Amino acid sequence: MVSSINPSVKMIAVVIPGLVLSLAFDVVTPLVFLTFLLLVTFFFSGVRLKKWLMFFIPLSLFALGLAWTSMLHTDEKYAGGDMLVNFWWIEITTGSLQVGVSLALRSMCFIALTLLFALTTDPTKLMLSMMQQLKLPPKLTYGILAGYRFLPLFKHELDLLRQAHQIRGVSRTKGIKGRIERLKRYMIPLLANAIRKSERVANAMESKGFTGSRQRTHYHEIKVKKNDWVFLTSMITALAIAFYLSYTLGYLNIFGKTF
Amino acid sequence: MSFSPLLELKDYSFSYESQEKPIINNLSCTIHDGDSILLMGASGSGKSTLALCLNGLYPEAIEGYSSGDIYFRGTNINDFKKGELNQKIGIVFQDPESQFCMLKVEDELAFTLENLSVPRSEMVRKIDRVLDQVKMTNYKNRKIHELSGGQKQKIALAAVLLMEPDLLILDEPTANLDPVSSLEFIALVGELQDNTEMSIIVIEHQADDWLHLMNRCIVLDQKGQLMLDDVPDHVFNQHAELVKELGIFLPNQYENTVEQNPLPSIVSSTHPCMSVNQMSFKRKKDSILKNISFNVYPGEFISIVGQNGAGKSTLLQLMSRLLQPSEGSVTFLNRPLNEWDERELRKRTGFVFQNPEHQFITDTVYDEITFGMKLNEKPEKDFKAVANELLETFHLTHHKWSNPFALSGGQKRRLSVATMLDETPDLLLFDEPTFGQDAHTTLELMKIIINLKRKGTSVVFITHDMDLVDQYADRVIVLNNGRIALDGQPEELWQNDDLLKEARLRKPYRMERKEVESVGLIH
Repeated sequence: MVSSINPSVKMIAVVIPGLVLSLAFDVVTPLVFLTFLLLVTFFFSGVRLKKWLMFFIPLSLFALGLAWTSMLHTDEKYAGGDMLVNFWWIEITTGSLQVGVSLALRSMCFIALTLLFALTTDPTKLMLSMMQQLKLPPKLTYGILAGYRFLPLFKHELDLLRQAHQIRGVSRTKGIKGRIERLKRYMIPLLANAIRKSERVANAMESKGFTGSRQRTHYHEIKVKKNDWVFLTSMITALAIAFYLSYTLGYLNIFGKTF
Repeated sequence: MSFSPLLELKDYSFSYESQEKPIINNLSCTIHDGDSILLMGASGSGKSTLALCLNGLYPEAIEGYSSGDIYFRGTNINDFKKGELNQKIGIVFQDPESQFCMLKVEDELAFTLENLSVPRSEMVRKIDRVLDQVKMTNYKNRKIHELSGGQKQKIALAAVLLMEPDLLILDEPTANLDPVSSLEFIALVGELQDNTEMSIIVIEHQADDWLHLMNRCIVLDQKGQLMLDDVPDHVFNQHAELVKELGIFLPNQYENTVEQNPLPSIVSSTHPCMSVNQMSFKRKKDSILKNISFNVYPGEFISIVGQNGAGKSTLLQLMSRLLQPSEGSVTFLNRPLNEWDERELRKRTGFVFQNPEHQFITDTVYDEITFGMKLNEKPEKDFKAVANELLETFHLTHHKWSNPFALSGGQKRRLSVATMLDETPDLLLFDEPTFGQDAHTTLELMKIIINLKRKGTSVVFITHDMDLVDQYADRVIVLNNGRIALDGQPEELWQNDDLLKEARLRKPYRMERKEVESVGLIH
């Protein structure tokens, strides 16, 4: 299961394909890799399809919009080939179609990669692993964990502020200027409280002997196991296969250069 | 064992800015092994700051300024390595929401042990033992944010106990808890005191329940100077006047006159100011309030009590149309609440929040008070007079042009009430307004409320303080599991032992003492 993979290794296994894929401007490479990602997500991640779609669909729509725009405004360098559509102000050539579709597929790869990581990773384990494997300073990792606890409290406080201001009649001030004013009014108490709270947490942590020093023992030892290497290797291999397939089929295109 | 005292302060002063007058002022005292000290002082007298100075966090953490010395077992605390002194002096803080950095109970406790570099093999045993000590064994794998306030404080205590400190400082640990959780926590500390040799310092506004555990009482004045340092009996018997003057709650047992109902209710009207009819409220799928019905009459003071999570705040929000009921309705002055024009409704009702800062929207005290009147397009010369009168009544004239956020705790509280009173409202709702306030501020607030009551304003007041209920409330409504478990005179509640237990409430001091005395007579 992807959720049991060491978070740091998982992060590397997700970031490398992300970076390398951004070089591929053809259609086949991201298509092959996306197929692989979907297989991994549906058969090995344990994420419920409904939940996954809830994130994937809106993000993909955004990606499609982006791809559509870039198809219409393709750089002349790439926009060669036959004219496919020439209607009013819309001009689509085979070149620009390829750029658009490729961008859409790549974006979907990024989304699938991100979801594969985000939906299967426990934030506490991620931080512990980043401290133990990637040697991030404890000050940073525990700081992030403490901050993460605050998110729901923040929302609660914003709700209270809204109510308190409604009682005072603030919502009655009209117009854009009024809106900006209102935002300003929320910011001051929110920030004041956030600063106070973070100071309190820092005090509490230090009072429990936390110094930020790396010399500490670990209750949860997060290790890198064989499975983690298997996961990393298979992600990289799948990426290599995607590039190789596209190369043998004659589609591979890196930064506009065909091979 | 060394012969040096546990802690020794010599002419210790502390301030946040070098120019400012010090928060802690020339303090000299000695704390011995086995001491149980009650540290008291009005808000702003530097009690919490002192706690952080003692365990070496201040002045370093905030770049404050200090003079004089503190010695721990004869060694100057500046000579300790970072983190070393924190282990000898543990602190449990007031706010249960902001003293954890992990998500699970087990991990939070492990965090302390990791800081001390305890080998992993010993951790499980130590965690299990400390959880047994605080009676939270069943909560080991729970998420911290799902716990109640009282349970959170027990975990905070457990995390500190893991360091096996020589001195335990408790900084208002029960301020946010319901009455029974608060008593449970104090009993727990009492047990620890019996079973360990730890010295204890308790910082607390309301000392009543702690007194039997304490053998010494230190009182600071507003300038952060040491005023009294003696056994509690002497402090409260011989210096009762001084203690009161400093804005400190005199424990009830030293108060000779326990007043009851200083002002008989003037409820004469049979016409309700607000009536709530079979109201229910759901949040997502959770039913928060079920089938709530009651009337509020003009000039009536109603207390709403119940444990945390019983739905008290939600009820108040529904009564002020900040939330909409899922079922049922609310009528205000014979008109359905939803038919009221927003402006008119806000003029006729008021709502005072737990945290006064939430209500501030302008940059000066004067603007804050006049804000509502300006919105209602009152002529300037009218509202000037009203504003000045309010400033005078609430002792804020000197701070007319101060920023509301820069006021002291008590001043903020007064201002937050003043902003609701540009016109005498028909109904005022209070969500735990005395929470974390000192004796002085609480008394002032209650005086203001009584005055409003005289003018016919109805007051609905959420509180955990049963003595306030006993003294001021005409009626008490007990919420339990989203239902009204009792709606009647406070006396009815005090007689209902089963309900008190179920709703995690307690009797006011007056009644508790009576019971102790009657038991004493039998023996």
